[in-house]
Amino acid sequence: MLEVARPRPERWDKPLDVAMTSRTVDRLLGVPPFAAMDPAVFPRATPLREILRNDTRVRQYQPGEIVVREGDYGSSALLVLDGQVRATLESLPPATLGRTPKRRGAQLARAIAQLLQRPSAPEVRAPKAAAFSPTHPGAGVFVQDLPAVLDANRTALLGPGELFGEQAAITRSPHTATVFAETACVLLEIRWQGLRDLMQSTPALRRHVDELYRKNHLDGHLRNTPLLAALDEAAFARVKESVTFASYGSFDWSETAKLDAASDPLERLRREPIVVEEGEPVDAVLLVRGGVGRLASELGEGRRTIAYLGKGRTLGVEELILAAERGEPAVWRRTLSAVGRLDAIAIPPAVFLAEVAPTVPESQRLRWRERSRYDDAVYQPSPGAAPARTLDFLVDRRLVNGTQSMVIDLDRCTRCDDCLRACAATHDGNPRFTREGLLHDQLQFAQACMHCVDPVCMIGCPTGAIHRDEETGVVRINDNTCVGCSTCANSCPYSAIKMVEIREPTGAIVIDQATGQPLLRATKCDLCADQPTGPACQHACPHDALVRIDLTTPTQLAAWSQH
Amino acid sequence: MAGAVVGCALWVTQLEASLARSAYATGYVLYGAVVFLAAYQLRKKLPGLPLGKSRSWLQAHLVVAIASGALFYAHIGGRWPSGVVEGSLALLYAGAFASGVLGFYLTRTIPKQLARTGEQFIFEQIPRLRSSVQRDARTVVVDAVHATGATTLADFYADRLHGFFRRPRALRYTLRPTTTARRRLFNELTSVDRFLTEPERSAAERLFQLVRRKDDLDFHAARQGVLKAWLFGHIGLTWALLVVGAAHGVMALAFRGGPTL
Repeated sequence: MLEVARPRPERWDKPLDVAMTSRTVDRLLGVPPFAAMDPAVFPRATPLREILRNDTRVRQYQPGEIVVREGDYGSSALLVLDGQVRATLESLPPATLGRTPKRRGAQLARAIAQLLQRPSAPEVRAPKAAAFSPTHPGAGVFVQDLPAVLDANRTALLGPGELFGEQAAITRSPHTATVFAETACVLLEIRWQGLRDLMQSTPALRRHVDELYRKNHLDGHLRNTPLLAALDEAAFARVKESVTFASYGSFDWSETAKLDAASDPLERLRREPIVVEEGEPVDAVLLVRGGVGRLASELGEGRRTIAYLGKGRTLGVEELILAAERGEPAVWRRTLSAVGRLDAIAIPPAVFLAEVAPTVPESQRLRWRERSRYDDAVYQPSPGAAPARTLDFLVDRRLVNGTQSMVIDLDRCTRCDDCLRACAATHDGNPRFTREGLLHDQLQFAQACMHCVDPVCMIGCPTGAIHRDEETGVVRINDNTCVGCSTCANSCPYSAIKMVEIREPTGAIVIDQATGQPLLRATKCDLCADQPTGPACQHACPHDALVRIDLTTPTQLAAWSQH
Repeated sequence: MAGAVVGCALWVTQLEASLARSAYATGYVLYGAVVFLAAYQLRKKLPGLPLGKSRSWLQAHLVVAIASGALFYAHIGGRWPSGVVEGSLALLYAGAFASGVLGFYLTRTIPKQLARTGEQFIFEQIPRLRSSVQRDARTVVVDAVHATGATTLADFYADRLHGFFRRPRALRYTLRPTTTARRRLFNELTSVDRFLTEPERSAAERLFQLVRRKDDLDFHAARQGVLKAWLFGHIGLTWALLVVGAAHGVMALAFRGGPTL
């Protein structure tokens, strides 16, 4: 038998909760914010009623039970329907949150089983797929010693109608707070695809989510910014009150990324939205809260990249403080442009000079004064970073998005393919990367999932099959809920996701019984998250030629290149 | 590495000083070392298990291999064995050791040579890519003939380039690749340029690129092939060494007389 026919999976084949009834949907339509939504404005393909039926589920929690944990990645927002939950405004120790180290024995057993049970055909799948829960994989976890937590930490109470977890879900970032049930409560879990569709058709909800950021997350972001660490509470409040938000580029930047990579470098630079321009007056201190920016100096007809800025980095501090010391107007020394997308928080110069500048230590000011004497510093990357042409390459190709990029030193690689064989051996005989990719000097950036800081592959997934692992942050694909639509593979600017034809254990290719076309699944590197050794490719390289490396900062690559 | 050799030498000196039959002790340890060296290949077959990083194994492989050289010297007592089995075994060890040294040299020089080409190729894909280059070259020339009716470039292709595109390179090139053929063809292609029509000139430009690509493919096939052939030979010698070494051990124990230490 060469083929076997099966129905093609669809977006809502596997609803978040199969037990969701029409009666429950009717009741949800009667409570805020759904009561205020107009079903007529929703597209025919994604009606409000079907979003609620398929992309939401009602969950009940006991007092003290953890709903979301700080640091975990989530793919759902939660709406309080009944009862109260409490959000911690300070970090809790791992033991309090029920975090336990992974059992090595179980991983080892899986690794041995995988070696012994290798299928004879490629891409074999079991005929029946198991159900999948993106946000709550197991039994409930309770906060340990709840009274002590409440005594020792600042918390905020959330009641019916309030939404939380939405930022983690829509920005593909970890939760910034732990939320647990204060009383017995009922919550509505909305997976992010549903939340996205609701926001697209309901401007009021979109505005509400923006306002929630200011209310719930701005404080945490500013408090985690080292520049503001020395402020007293009053000064901090004045800074917080003064900030504005700015976004540059597109959230769906992956759509043009492949085109950009192939275009002329000068044209590519011209297309990048300018955030601040060299020589222009400094109108704000910028704190990057998401995305990546290219910091460049004018050189000849173009601009040379001297750094790139990701989440948590600041710009404008040096210019403002040195200009204030000299009594001159502050101007930008470099140009910052958005590489794909850049979200920033802007502090007005007057507020910065009044509240923050006095807290900058003299030793730091001395370093800036010293640096400003050498014009060359403007044109060169900082010590320890990769050379300017390497930075240009990394930013041009958007490789700076990768937190676990596979980089191969071709001067050391003997092309033995031990990496590829190890990958295949740990994935049922199916390698999850190809030893091909972009070349820069002696470095090859292989076509393996980079586990991006901004995983655009997740944007269009209709079922949430591609998701971040809550514990590790690894971007994974749940094979059981993947419908083979290829959206992720098409979205990935690095061609790191492959669509494969699946087979039954007998070796028969599974085809769609309606169209006769083979059924596909998305596959990619999962960083061997289930293996006791970590990434098998790196573990298997005899010559230390292959490394998984974080390219969101330029220093790691520079250090490894010189090893 | 020097420490391992010195350690072995000291141990053997101590054995000799105690008037023990050092050949048995060095034989056991030497065979154990060869088993350990061969186990590296087994470790490669079990990549998911926490058996240590491959690069650590390779470092240990090199140290133990060097130490085994000192042990081998002590084991044979500084003179080449005269028996058929012992002589073959010594030859196998020497072959495995020498192939290891050769491999050390190759794995540290060939990657840099391969990295110099503008494009990188996967060994298994090279035959397909060669066919593709040959097909492209033929198409370019045929299109030029169709466009102009002139056959100057086509004649040159049939005479000088067809064989180059059609065949893999000779064994001599595999052992010692050179750019002679590429340079010669570039020069000939340049010298024929003055006789070409405009469409043929465009086709000739494309042929320059295809010659370069074919030459790069041949270079990768040759150099990567050497690395793969070396590993095949090294593993083959190791297996033979293990089998003959085991037989040698059994015979040595079977025909021993008196105390074994």
